[in-house]
Amino acid sequence: MLRTEEMILNVGPQHPSTHGVFRLILKIDGEIIHEATPVIGYLHRGTEKIAEDLQYTQIIPYTDRMDYLSAMTNNYVICHAVETMMGIEIPERAEYLRVIAMELGRVASHLVWWGTYLLDLGSQSPFLYAFRDREMIINLLTELSGARLTFNYMRIGGVKWDAPDGWIKKVQEFVPYMRRQLAGYHELVSGNEIFISRVKGVGKYTKNDAIAYSLSGANLRSTGVSWDVRKNDPYSLYDRFDFDVPVRQEGDALARYECRMAEIDQSLKIIEQACEQIPSKGPVLGKVPRMIRPPKGETFVRIESPRGEIGCYIASDGSKEPYRIKFRRPSFYNLQILPKLLKGENIANVIAILGAVDIVLGEVDG
Amino acid sequence: MIGWLKGMKYTLNQGTKEKITYQYPEEPIPLPDRFRGIQKFYPEKCIVCNQCVNICPTDCIQLTGKKHPDPKKRGKIIETYDINFEICILCDLCTEVCPTEAIIMTNNFELAEYSRSKLYKNLDDLNNHVTNLREENKA
Amino acid sequence: MEKGIDERNQELIHYVNILKNQIGENGLEDYYINELAKHTPTIVVKQEVYQKVAKIVKSHPDMQFEYLTELHGTDFQTHMEVFLYLQSISRKRSLILKTKTDRDQPIVASVTSIWEGAMWPECEAYDLLGIRFEGHPNLHRIFLGEDWKGYPLRKDYKDENPLK
Repeated sequence: MLRTEEMILNVGPQHPSTHGVFRLILKIDGEIIHEATPVIGYLHRGTEKIAEDLQYTQIIPYTDRMDYLSAMTNNYVICHAVETMMGIEIPERAEYLRVIAMELGRVASHLVWWGTYLLDLGSQSPFLYAFRDREMIINLLTELSGARLTFNYMRIGGVKWDAPDGWIKKVQEFVPYMRRQLAGYHELVSGNEIFISRVKGVGKYTKNDAIAYSLSGANLRSTGVSWDVRKNDPYSLYDRFDFDVPVRQEGDALARYECRMAEIDQSLKIIEQACEQIPSKGPVLGKVPRMIRPPKGETFVRIESPRGEIGCYIASDGSKEPYRIKFRRPSFYNLQILPKLLKGENIANVIAILGAVDIVLGEVDG
Repeated sequence: MIGWLKGMKYTLNQGTKEKITYQYPEEPIPLPDRFRGIQKFYPEKCIVCNQCVNICPTDCIQLTGKKHPDPKKRGKIIETYDINFEICILCDLCTEVCPTEAIIMTNNFELAEYSRSKLYKNLDDLNNHVTNLREENKA
Repeated sequence: MEKGIDERNQELIHYVNILKNQIGENGLEDYYINELAKHTPTIVVKQEVYQKVAKIVKSHPDMQFEYLTELHGTDFQTHMEVFLYLQSISRKRSLILKTKTDRDQPIVASVTSIWEGAMWPECEAYDLLGIRFEGHPNLHRIFLGEDWKGYPLRKDYKDENPLK
């Protein structure tokens, strides 16, 4: 008599396709997954606890290390929270520089996702192409901020540095270059029959599931929900730009792929407009008191990061350190749906599904 | 099949492109002026105001000052200055708050050492550090 | 802007009336417009009716807060607080819902049956603050592990092995 037995398969925590230190315990029967249990916390550094003893300016470098692929949006969310509490006006040039930096970061982050996702699926060369073009963005951001990933560029009330001479021009030249590269990417991957049959219909969920599980970003928009904080609750200067929110209806990995690729295009569109509109000179730091003390009370703001809605809650008791600070980290929320998605799936699909969620473990663990 | 062939064409086209890889470590990586590396410290410029210690998010700077040896002059001069590069995150805040630009960033970033104690850099280490100094230090 | 604030005020009063009709006068502790959080309507409810209110704000046709943006807890030393930021995607409105609980015995009903997205955030609040969510299908210490002593985000937490 043939007898089948349940087997436990341990994926990670140190496995490249988990994109960090993420462990997945799979209960499998043959090739079919019965139960998937994610184990997280390997990268928990207690940012929120550390931040309770720090002044607001000192917290900014810590936020760089949450979502280290798009540190600019993380910088922005804490500055935005404090600025909202204190009612600080940001000079226009600073705000444009922030937008350009954030959108460049979004393109870079999506490029990493694109490269690594295809690497997960077994295709090597897109990874190298993605990193070649990402390197150009990283170089631009290094010139602006002085670091390759952990920028620590924004300050409460503005930004640290004005753009160096000719930087805006370099960005303007980068946009058409990136457009050409993007067309090449589509040629290389998007139409490839092997790729399409690999991801089509994989990791599918419905609109209602996506909303119930608090998914955000491309994970939500791939199910037909047109929800982008930049559009629906505009912060910064996003109401001045003309851009679309890419939405797909299918809710599978291919739809998420298409959403993210279309987002790169929209980000380039925003960068282009911002480079045209930016005032040629002006201050980059607003009128900020020497000691930053937000009024007593609490705030919650959210912005759109490449991975979804990133939020910041601050409870202040009027002193120079926050009483409590909490970040809504999109990867943490997005990953919750994974056990549901993996149940009943074939084991070969695990990495294809996990990769399509697009997580950064620094952000999941906080 | 058509999509696959298109991809093949793209791949083949890449062969004619110029190489873009860096030949590191044989050739140094070109870095912009603003790049943040190991700090340079000028003891004669320091006024022992303690601002860098206070702003450091990881508490990696320790300093002590002493009274000015010349009794006619007021204020303090620096005696010891240590940065622990095990925990320094090169965030640039110390150079930002320094009123006299006594501490500035350099473009040197290679910090790997065989012994942990070498990551504690004292006043002399930071003072003798003279290459690739950053020109523009204040926004 | 002024008009917007007026609108939000009316919105808040409308929500409060709906809730008062369904759960009675005593369930609501406080309600106000949080000016620091971009003028978001805020409702503070008593712990006993928290789950019931959560159900109403999700399903009532005039509220429809079907998306949970954020859930976390805070230790305010006199009490613990659970903070929910809710979003109605169809109506494009947001709402802050809060409830207070005792600090020594922090027990709050779980809202995972209403928003599945609360699953991990509730684990996080339990892990770091020790708030127990009753009815949670799998409440565990998600980051620190079951053998960790104490709840780090409480204000009186002492680290057993401090670095310095």
